[in-house]
Amino acid sequence: MNGAVVMESKTNKKAFWGALAAGLLALGILLVSFGVSGVAYAVPIAGVGDFYVEFDKLEGEGYKFYPKLGETSSSDAAPQGTNIIEKLTIDNLQLYKDFQVGGEWIRVKIQASKPVQISGLQHDAGLIEANAKFQNLALAENNSTDWTKQFQQTSSTIILENAKLKTHYLFQETINMAGMKLTVEKIDKK
Amino acid sequence: MVFKKWRHTRPFFGAILTVLSGLMILWVPLNLYLSTFLPGSVAVIGLMFGGLITLMGLMSFFLPSASKALGIIVIFLSILSVIGALGGFLFGTIFGIIGGALLTAWQMVPAQESAGAPVADAAAQAAKTG
Repeated sequence: MNGAVVMESKTNKKAFWGALAAGLLALGILLVSFGVSGVAYAVPIAGVGDFYVEFDKLEGEGYKFYPKLGETSSSDAAPQGTNIIEKLTIDNLQLYKDFQVGGEWIRVKIQASKPVQISGLQHDAGLIEANAKFQNLALAENNSTDWTKQFQQTSSTIILENAKLKTHYLFQETINMAGMKLTVEKIDKK
Repeated sequence: MVFKKWRHTRPFFGAILTVLSGLMILWVPLNLYLSTFLPGSVAVIGLMFGGLITLMGLMSFFLPSASKALGIIVIFLSILSVIGALGGFLFGTIFGIIGGALLTAWQMVPAQESAGAPVADAAAQAAKTG
């Protein structure tokens, strides 16, 4: 056994802190660069259940709508419509969800003071209230055994004003929310 | 004990943290399974980052001699996983950076050189690395 060198496992503290600091610094730089450009990638707001989206004006390109059955926080299959918009800008966007905590209602609200730019939006809604304008609007019926494919609505541009949407699922590939504010407040709900 | 000896010859905690971080990062795109596989979806990248980090963690259990290189790659991928997987809501990224730093800093040294501690339990500590 004299020739054998006894080895043991050891963590080099200097190397550890160096690597940790370098990693955190790189993460910081990445997050700051997101903060500066305000861009978040692949943002899902799913599984939250019914929540509301309100805005003053939406201008979008490449719009497609079809009906479907989907999950909500209170049901496995509720009828709803899927809106797909390739590129859009929203003025004065507000997203909110109300939770009942004990006997009180709490509203979690996200709002953006500046125009929000989104690409690759998928939005499942149970209710859409808005003043709408379309260009090249096409409504088509298809002969299909799948009921979700029987009806489709497409348009090259879409403009919605003073809208309120009851939303079940929202997914954006990229979203640019400058001037974002998140608030949690108590509300009076009858 | 055999396990204790096995544990002492590889970057055990670094590897565990790395695997945990990979699983956390995977969790986000897997929850988006509906949209993840749509063409053009960024979430596929998250799936790849999470999978690679988990693989690196497992590899560092069995290839301790490569832990320095694996650690650097883990840190790099953890940071990039903020894109496409939200970095496992950032917890995955933080765990990945700590795990990667532990892997990078891990080394085998002759027992005599260790911070002044005498070789108390040579049977448990003694091992050779490749």
